[in-house]
Amino acid sequence: MSHQRHVSFLAWCALSPLLLQCLALNWSAPLTWPTWALVFCALFKLRECRRPFDRRLVALLQLVSTGLLAAQLQGLLASVLQLVAVLLALAGLLGHELAGSLGFRGFLQRSLQLLGAALPLALVLFLFVPRLPPLWTTELGPARGAVTGLSPDLDPLSIAELTLVDGSAARVLLPEVQPLPTDAYWRVLVHEQFDGRRWQHRDPHVPRGGSGRPQVGEGTSQWWVVEPSATRAVPWDGSALPTSPDQWITPEGELLVGAASRQRRSFRLRSPEKVAAWQQRPPIPSERQAPPDSLPRLKTLAQQFRGLPTGRERLEAVEGWFRRQPFRYSLQPGAVADLDAFLFDQQVGFCGHYASALAALLRAADVPARVVSGYQGGHVVQPMSGNPYLELRQSDAHAWVELWLEGEGWQRVDPTLWAANSGLPAAAMAAESAQRQGGNVPWWRWLQWQWWGLDLAWTRWWLSFDQSSQQAWLQMLFGVQLRWLGVAIVMGGMAALTAGWLLLHLGLRPRSPLSQSLRLLARWGVVPQQGESFPCVCRRAAKMHPDLATLLEAMADQQQLLAHAPLNPPQRRQHRRQWRQLRSRLAQLR
Amino acid sequence: MAHRTVKPFFKPSRPCAELKLGHRSLYIIPSRFGALWIAAAGLLLLVAIQTGSNSTLLLAFVMLGLMLLAMFLTHDTLQGLTLRCDQPAPAFAGEPALYSLQLDSAAARPRCSLRVQGHAVVDCDRIAAGRATLFLPWVAGHRGWQLPPPVQIETIAPLGLFICWGRWQPQQPQLIWPRRCPGPVAEKQPPRSRDGLEEWQDLRPVREGERPALVDWASAARGRPLQAKLFNDPEEPEVILTPAPGVELELAREHLADRIWRLHHSGACFGLQFQAISLAPSKGVRHRDACLEALATA
Repeated sequence: MSHQRHVSFLAWCALSPLLLQCLALNWSAPLTWPTWALVFCALFKLRECRRPFDRRLVALLQLVSTGLLAAQLQGLLASVLQLVAVLLALAGLLGHELAGSLGFRGFLQRSLQLLGAALPLALVLFLFVPRLPPLWTTELGPARGAVTGLSPDLDPLSIAELTLVDGSAARVLLPEVQPLPTDAYWRVLVHEQFDGRRWQHRDPHVPRGGSGRPQVGEGTSQWWVVEPSATRAVPWDGSALPTSPDQWITPEGELLVGAASRQRRSFRLRSPEKVAAWQQRPPIPSERQAPPDSLPRLKTLAQQFRGLPTGRERLEAVEGWFRRQPFRYSLQPGAVADLDAFLFDQQVGFCGHYASALAALLRAADVPARVVSGYQGGHVVQPMSGNPYLELRQSDAHAWVELWLEGEGWQRVDPTLWAANSGLPAAAMAAESAQRQGGNVPWWRWLQWQWWGLDLAWTRWWLSFDQSSQQAWLQMLFGVQLRWLGVAIVMGGMAALTAGWLLLHLGLRPRSPLSQSLRLLARWGVVPQQGESFPCVCRRAAKMHPDLATLLEAMADQQQLLAHAPLNPPQRRQHRRQWRQLRSRLAQLR
Repeated sequence: MAHRTVKPFFKPSRPCAELKLGHRSLYIIPSRFGALWIAAAGLLLLVAIQTGSNSTLLLAFVMLGLMLLAMFLTHDTLQGLTLRCDQPAPAFAGEPALYSLQLDSAAARPRCSLRVQGHAVVDCDRIAAGRATLFLPWVAGHRGWQLPPPVQIETIAPLGLFICWGRWQPQQPQLIWPRRCPGPVAEKQPPRSRDGLEEWQDLRPVREGERPALVDWASAARGRPLQAKLFNDPEEPEVILTPAPGVELELAREHLADRIWRLHHSGACFGLQFQAISLAPSKGVRHRDACLEALATA
């Protein structure tokens, strides 16, 4: 019954990576519940297996669970765990039918061989079978969940002390030709509604089915991995173009990707070729709305600037006023009653205070303005595994202002830079400089960077192969002969299946020296007869080939020694080696 | 392996002494588990389309690839296997008989199962390379030299996604003795001869220091191992069994078969007179078998 224990052990082992991944699922995602249900079904079924069919069913449940997990967790670590689960489930399935003939390692090896044999056909289908868009619109991503990151409501006045969170927010891999910008602004959310205290983000209207116009064609790509956040909008540079139907740019200049903001998102953007359309969209009424009357001193100050003829001149006047005031940047500004208190009394704050105050002041001066929150800067990581990438952390979160200038469109202004001790968060700057010097990096952080490098490479080469990439690839491969794709799939599939079968056939051939020697002799036409020993076969072969008699006799001696002599392991290894050498010499001579 | 009933699409070929399983004699269809497997792959394909997940899509295609590969692998499990007739031992009608056959395989093979159609399944966990002898249980309804129903060999190894099977009608008939049924049997006393040492009744293996006169040299000359003759004890009581008067002939066979079996196990010396057949009183397995064969075939 030891083989039964092996099989059960394999099945239990396959459940471990599945349960581990289940813990990482978001409870608000619709696919989470069926996944948990399937994993538990497999677990209970395994506990009360009575018939062979039950055990096979457990393996199938494990494979389906893995597929559902793969649809929700697509990172490198999750993919590795999924591969392990598939390997073990398949080994368990093989165990029921090959019981008694293989051990634990044998089942795993056979499982790996089977997977390898099935892979050619799977890859042909994966690469060539045209991808279908979703058959119906589903929200398969989670809707709720506790995550960190930017908030849709910007209310800096209620934050007495800003704690910098060092968690990763996003990572971007830019084309090799493009230098990694460490002072760029990565926009995420646009806050255009102001109630005198808070700047609120309005959820944009999302067209059903996304943009529907993926940009296919030439152009370098940016590969992004964005950690779970509270918003559907993701960081971008404000000018890249979407590449798949589930990415779209709102009129305010936010980039939305898919529907699942509560899980890690990986996507590809295309580098821009022209000015983004959102920058030229005229302001809507809510972006012109003046601040409420609860800010009398702000409105009085704004009256001084309203008389200036153009928006550009008003902006310069406001900047001049800011720079003349003793504003200081601080992460611990303390409680601030309102914007009047910030502008005229305390004059201490962080980016949120400055952006909020400037946007309100500009609106009061009749210049359309809004607050944008996102990330500023980031730092370059050079992993050992490949291309350098830019990492954005939560501590890189930043807020700035966009204002509408006639003839120029929406322009970015960062009032935090006008403060006396220049805008970037001090802690972030310190960390940045330390990293640039390559010192003071804890080992776990270094390891994390290396892993993220691999993860980005995985994202770049694997996750980014979507419908649009496939279309571009097939176009490049077939050109105008795309009508032959069906024939190519059938022919390629048959060739791949044959290749897989041959691989398996060669892999399953017995590898013992005796089997290999008998195969060699069989090629010479010497086949063992019923009840004939190996030395007898060798003697028969020697009669047919007298020139090889010495070698054949030596080979028979090695077999006899290994079969019957009391040898210790080193001696056994030595005789096996000698046997192998004799066999290869015989093969060369014939 | 669970007992599955694959409804054969084709009748087996005419009886033959051996059958090498190949494309012409093997049939294959997806199993119930195979149908579930395809459904699961379809489900994963749907999830992959809806979520745009490459890993799920690849897993669905891998499952499809495994299904197609399993078809060839399951077929390979039986292909090239040779089924040969053996000499099956006689058995009583209405009682479990064992039909022996030989399996010849050039390489080791995974699990498969064999059965005489309509009878219990025999599982072979692993067929080793070389020759193996197998005993398939079946129950014969009639006496005489009987051919068993077709033998069916099937496998689902290695993945359980396909059932591959072959059917073979062996050529070697099995001797089926009459059914055993206790009942009246007529007994006669044979005329006693005084030369108990003239005729030997049975054989046993030769012991150390055996007298050469006791060795059965005739059978040794035919290539059989050396055996010593067993002689009757002249003082032992002997009976000759005949059918009881008034009993229908077929029933009388059954009564005689039962009596012969019990007399043999009690070590008695008995003879048989049945229709035109007359067997002198004797003992031993060979004599018992000769009497029962006479009853079965006369």
